[in-house]
Amino acid sequence: MHLPRSLQGRLLTLVLGLVGLVWACTAVLTWQDASHELDELLDGHLAQAAALLVVQQAREIAHDADRRRSSDGDKDDDDDRTLDAPNLHRYAPSVAFQVFHEGRLVLRSANAPPQPMVDAERGVRQGFTDVILDNTRWRVFAAVGAESDVQVYVGERAEARNDILMAVLRSTLWPMALALPLLAAVAFWAIRRGLKPLRLLGGQLHQRQAASVAPLEVPDDGAMPTEVAQMVAALNGLFERISGLMESERRFTADAAHELRTPIAAIRAQAQVALQEADVEHRRHALQATLAGCDRATRLVEQLLTLSRLEASAAPPTRVVDLAALARQAVADIAPRALAQGQTVAVDAPPTCSVVADETLLAVLLRNLLDNAVRYGPPGATVQVGVAPSSPSRPGRVGLTVADSGPGLPEGLQEQLGRRFHRPAGQAQGGSGLGWSIVRRVAEVLRLELQLERSAALGGLAVTVQLPPG
Amino acid sequence: MRILLAEDDPLLGDGLRAGLRQRGFQVDWVRDGLAAECELRAEPYAAAVLDLGLPLMDGMDVLASVRRAGLAVPVLVLTARDAVPDRVRGLDVGADDYVVKPVDLDELAARLRALVRRSHGQPQELLMAQDVVLDPAARLCSLAGQPVLLSAREFDLLQVLMLAAGRVLSREQIEQQLYSWGQEVESNAVEVHVHHLRRKLGAGLIQTVRGVGYTVLKTAAAT
Repeated sequence: MHLPRSLQGRLLTLVLGLVGLVWACTAVLTWQDASHELDELLDGHLAQAAALLVVQQAREIAHDADRRRSSDGDKDDDDDRTLDAPNLHRYAPSVAFQVFHEGRLVLRSANAPPQPMVDAERGVRQGFTDVILDNTRWRVFAAVGAESDVQVYVGERAEARNDILMAVLRSTLWPMALALPLLAAVAFWAIRRGLKPLRLLGGQLHQRQAASVAPLEVPDDGAMPTEVAQMVAALNGLFERISGLMESERRFTADAAHELRTPIAAIRAQAQVALQEADVEHRRHALQATLAGCDRATRLVEQLLTLSRLEASAAPPTRVVDLAALARQAVADIAPRALAQGQTVAVDAPPTCSVVADETLLAVLLRNLLDNAVRYGPPGATVQVGVAPSSPSRPGRVGLTVADSGPGLPEGLQEQLGRRFHRPAGQAQGGSGLGWSIVRRVAEVLRLELQLERSAALGGLAVTVQLPPG
Repeated sequence: MRILLAEDDPLLGDGLRAGLRQRGFQVDWVRDGLAAECELRAEPYAAAVLDLGLPLMDGMDVLASVRRAGLAVPVLVLTARDAVPDRVRGLDVGADDYVVKPVDLDELAARLRALVRRSHGQPQELLMAQDVVLDPAARLCSLAGQPVLLSAREFDLLQVLMLAAGRVLSREQIEQQLYSWGQEVESNAVEVHVHHLRRKLGAGLIQTVRGVGYTVLKTAAAT
């Protein structure tokens, strides 16, 4: 069944449909029951009437015999006479009876045919039977008199029974038929009233501006039903989460714009200085600074893109990755820059070491950790990547550590790391603090725990993640 | 004019310092909020360019602290935060001007000159005393309509005196306003520059108050 789209229409359809169904069932049951009871009652009447006729006929025969005895030889024509009973009631035409004596019709009602109502071939002499006379169905009760030469038939038109049945049904169902539209109106009103809180909520939601995440107002008078109140609470929770997300998104965009504006301002200022500078050495310096500004803006854009891709990505499918090869590749990539700054980079890893992770994300994590170590490490510093395969003391875990001999992290700074765009104070190196955000986010996506501690071997910061072995 | 530049970004700070020097300013550059606050309290800067996102101490806090200390030095806030509430807050806390990055160096210089001029109660762009006219924007000087060639230091000295016309400035005060950090100040530099200026512009412009310092009389008094 195709239900209407509106809740009210649905409820109304269902309620009225069910009421109609119950009503129809009631009607059918009433009809069956009434029909059965009526049949029993009227059959009883037929039998009763037949019994009366049989008794009557017995008395008449006895009377006739007396008369014959008293007036012997006096031939009475009355014997051949058929008596027609008068119609005493409007219902009477529906009822007919015949009395046969010695195969001769002696008494019949006005509407009864002259021949027996039940054919002799059918052989029914006693009991009920249904026959068709003049295209009309009759219910006939046949009875044998006290003497077997008397046969009585009392019949009733089946149509008449149906008329009575219909009258009974009409009087039963007529009030219900009247009540149905009334019920529809009442149900419509009740459902409409019951759904009012939902309609109000819908109206409130409809009137909101698309971007609004303000919580929905709930009237204090307790008029809000529990179900709707739960829905409103759930919606408000959702709005709160969305507004938190939007706020962090807005802050991110603002911070990103802020971070991009500074290198752009630097590029502009340096270019303008270079344009007006007569001194060759000064102009060269300004132009180099312009280029450095471009590089920084580029790096920042790349980091922002990485981060925004990470924000959107869910946990990727993981595969078996050779962590040792990955570590060597990452160190090889950063080595030229580290060497140019007078820093040493090294890898301490077995020939191969399999872990289960996403290779791309793991490379991003490693690159950013190395980039941070090299960028913020002083000249002459050492940066080391260590891969520790699972051992009896740490079964089921492969450790990946990036350690440096830099100044390490002051107390209290650890939790600030990874806040976007946060940089430690007094930082001479250009940077946005996005590297740590990326590392944090990758660890989140790969479900890895970042351990920050003081490197025992090198004295600087050591960052460790534990990976499942492949 | 000597100004303080507080900017933590190395490339931008370097560019602004070079650009403002090209435009005739003496620039001292600090990279964090604490240093900015110390310098503003210690030195008589003509103006300051203040970035808001400074390490150690936020630019807004520097500004509030300086204003609480009763310092009226004009402050131009240079920031990437361009939302109206940010600007309003900056101006409310005591910024004299609010410029969003990136900024044109010529515009920045013009805004700084305007700030300095207004802080000295000078409504016009040109400084005038007797028949000497000084154009700080173009860095031109004229005497009775005829251009006079001044060295950068002579121009700066004359500008300091004319901005403070009617007040007597000591030699130390003048030196503090002329030289940024790391610049050698010869013991008699101010006397030498005043001597040169008198030769080029006439002896009557700059008056010596013996034992105190120098002054340029206000135009109204001179004419």
